[in-house]
Amino acid sequence: MAAALTQPGCGPAQLGRADKEGEPRRALPLLLFLAIMGCGGMLIAQALYIPVKAQAAQILLARAFDESLATGAPVKPWSWADTAPIARVSAPRLQVSEIVLSGGSGEAMAFGPTAVVDDRANRVTVLAAHRDTHFEFVQRLLIGDDIWIERIDGTTANYRVARVQIAAWDEFTHPTDGAEGLLALTTCYPFGTHEPGPLRYIIWAERAQG
Amino acid sequence: MRRIAMAAGRFPDKDGLVVLLILGVVALGVVASSALSSRATANPVSRAAAAAEPLPASYAPMQSEGGLILRSSADPRSGEVAASVPAMRLGTDIVANVDGQTARVTVTQAFRNTSNEWMEATYLYPLPDDGAVDTLKMVVGDRIFEGEIKPKEEAQQIYEEAKASGQKAGLVEQSRPNMFRNSIANVGPGETVLVQIEFQAPIAQVAGDYSLRLPLVVGPRYISGQDVGGADNVGSLANAAMLAGASDILAPTADPAMVARAGGGLNPVAITVNLDPGFTAEAISSPYHAVNVDGSGAVRTITLADGAVPANRDFELRWSAAGDAPALGLFRQSHSELDYVMATITPPSAERTGTAPPREMIFVIDNSGSMAGESMPAARRSLLYALETLRPQDRFNIIRFDDTMTELFTSAVFASDRNIERAKSFTHRLEAEGGTEMLPALRAALGPCSARGDVENADHNAVAIAACKAAHEAEAVIGGRVRQVIFLTDGSLSNEAAMMEEINENRGRSRVFMVGIGSAPNTFLMRRMAEAGRGTFTHVGMGDEAESQMQRLLDRLARPVATQITANVDGGNIDFAPRDLPDLYAGEPLVLLGRTRHLQGTLTVSGLIDGARWSQSVELNQAAQSDVVARLWAGRRIAEVEAERWSGQMSYDLANMAIEELGMDFNIVTSRTSLIAVDDTPSRPDGARLTREELPLLLPAGWDFDHLFGAQSAQGSRDMPLESDKERQRLELPSTSTGYMLTFTLGLLLLLSGAAGAVWMRRERLAAGLNLHSLQRAIA
Repeated sequence: MAAALTQPGCGPAQLGRADKEGEPRRALPLLLFLAIMGCGGMLIAQALYIPVKAQAAQILLARAFDESLATGAPVKPWSWADTAPIARVSAPRLQVSEIVLSGGSGEAMAFGPTAVVDDRANRVTVLAAHRDTHFEFVQRLLIGDDIWIERIDGTTANYRVARVQIAAWDEFTHPTDGAEGLLALTTCYPFGTHEPGPLRYIIWAERAQG
Repeated sequence: MRRIAMAAGRFPDKDGLVVLLILGVVALGVVASSALSSRATANPVSRAAAAAEPLPASYAPMQSEGGLILRSSADPRSGEVAASVPAMRLGTDIVANVDGQTARVTVTQAFRNTSNEWMEATYLYPLPDDGAVDTLKMVVGDRIFEGEIKPKEEAQQIYEEAKASGQKAGLVEQSRPNMFRNSIANVGPGETVLVQIEFQAPIAQVAGDYSLRLPLVVGPRYISGQDVGGADNVGSLANAAMLAGASDILAPTADPAMVARAGGGLNPVAITVNLDPGFTAEAISSPYHAVNVDGSGAVRTITLADGAVPANRDFELRWSAAGDAPALGLFRQSHSELDYVMATITPPSAERTGTAPPREMIFVIDNSGSMAGESMPAARRSLLYALETLRPQDRFNIIRFDDTMTELFTSAVFASDRNIERAKSFTHRLEAEGGTEMLPALRAALGPCSARGDVENADHNAVAIAACKAAHEAEAVIGGRVRQVIFLTDGSLSNEAAMMEEINENRGRSRVFMVGIGSAPNTFLMRRMAEAGRGTFTHVGMGDEAESQMQRLLDRLARPVATQITANVDGGNIDFAPRDLPDLYAGEPLVLLGRTRHLQGTLTVSGLIDGARWSQSVELNQAAQSDVVARLWAGRRIAEVEAERWSGQMSYDLANMAIEELGMDFNIVTSRTSLIAVDDTPSRPDGARLTREELPLLLPAGWDFDHLFGAQSAQGSRDMPLESDKERQRLELPSTSTGYMLTFTLGLLLLLSGAAGAVWMRRERLAAGLNLHSLQRAIA
């Protein structure tokens, strides 16, 4: 500040002249910088859109789920949805619950965990969701944790985490017969990285007795 | 001026406001547009999923070493217990030629078909960790077919085609770095086909004692999840196996009753060792098998006293040098225009005058939830044992971590009785819970001076840290104290790259020893971390095995012989691996592998032995010819590539390509290359059925079959559905990473740099505006 005050000469008049002379030359880089900022803003918006959509969808889904629970039939969360909620998965210790969607497409996965396999006859359920949105909590699950599955038909099942597995995406197998009941929560691994990789993190949970 | 301009940036003038406005509009526009076109938005996920699709189906994660073998789930016939005598009988003959410091081992497996059907058989067998299979021969009658190295998928295809067209075919594949699978197709009724593989293995050397270990058995690893409900701990092994997820392979285990019925041993192994170590071997012994030693002088022949033995325990042969063991071994090999060199240098084990130098031991123990079950007690007991080995002049500390971290003492303390008592009760109280956050613990362990998150005083801190480091360094040099950091973890690591970086930057005088407990999924990385920390990686299993391995490690660590070792080449240019040389403990040789365009110059290895400088030089061009060096180098390079893959320094595809290239170049079986031999003439008549058989493995000696498989074998026909009878369904998991944080970071970066640029462009205008403003204020 002091430096500025000692040379009051370099005032607006001087600058104004320089400005006028260099205007066309100087405007171009400024525009470039503005364009860069614009791109940055766009990317940020695009990035934030993903978690925002993920959270917003869950609110709509929760409403649809409650409705489904009341009517006993699947209710679409919004009119153009090609998927419907089928269950609510929750981990009480971590205080999270997510609405599970039918069908394991990447499309549906933007809105919630999806049931890649849901074989009720053989009691096998495999869920998949993104590691940085809905299944962010999966990395914090511990062996022995309770997981609850509440279905739209009103039934509730308690599973207990039995084992953690890491496998390549194409090396995953599950038993065709889930015995008492088998639940797998799968998501990308390792956590904390941002590129898609071949590894998957799998939480195996077994139906708790009684 | 600049300061003012910067300050001005925070109070944007009109232009600035316009910029922000534009930005806001753009951002809103983007949000709106993507919200409207939500269906059309190809989010990164679906794109990633699409990209993942065409990847080859062979991302062998190679994460567990040894242990439970699981076989292809596609075949529903495969139980885990083989109760009937296999139609295909196997005999194995092993000849090991020990020449100097390496062994060339020939394994001949005779597949004899005792049935009336045409058979296909597969057999899973272990090899030494660093063994490299390079030769396959298939002998049918008096004809010999040489195997060729091919990329894995190609070899599989050739095998399948030969199998379909009735030709005999032999295939050698690597299932894990130390586990291989032989398949042989179209063995006619009553026919015998020999499959012969050759590999080389280094000889382990400690002081004047040498040993050759030939693993003969692959044990099912007992993976205890939780006790699965009171009543049905029946299949705790089977169940664990099911959940363990090594879903690519599974071999049945032989029921002892069946083995008895089979008579003559299910898989008899004959072993012959031709021992020519280059000196007169003494005290030749085999701890697990009775052996006969023939011959005299430098060349001996060792055979099993009982003839063939069942393959249910590993074979180990030990011998020692009569006088002074050669302190130096230097071997070279030229391979496709490059020279490969291996140097083994044993520093003189100085006369031990009683006490070992004082040490500083930092134990880092993982008590995260994944350690629940058997791992935690094993880790606890190992730590208690370690505490017992400390002497009053040693210093120590314990750091435990899950997603939080506690240091027992603020810095390392002397191992007084009182401190040890405190440490013991601390250890007893450790319970497995919480997540895994290893980096802070690693930081705390590496640096007694590490930054403890005091962000505000970052500058001040950096100075303090540097000073602290220097002080400790000086103290260490004067005191000659060795600092050993011992990590006990099951190795469910994350943020690998950050951990590697931390070790590389801050290891200082610390030595990092990684101890993998249980089914450590990330052994490559742990090995790599240990190497970067100039220590070793030890993979201990569960229970008693874990403890005895841990004891061996601790006993070894008690006596560092040579420290601060460096290797230099004068007048030549060689990159040696490992780059950071480890300390040497009682009598261990330093093994260097290198590759160069032209081998020349003088290799000088120097270090500190008992505080005194020691060095040894050798002319590289005096290296003896050896045909094993290049492949040993390749094996080492492959391990490096695997580690880079696991630490995220190399992508999966690149690593696969690199490994395939190495495998093809050096003619060795790797995770990406297999050996395939095909009989050129079809032998199975058209229409004759081919039966596939998975040959059962014997349980390791000392393992209790009934205990492991519980009621499963005894009451196999009871109503209880058996885990092992379950079929498994293969499923490709979708890609589940949106990666929005990356996009976000990129966007933020662009935004900020754009803003910075714009402000910079307008700095004079802004400055002027502010100037005027402050002038006005001054006047007012």
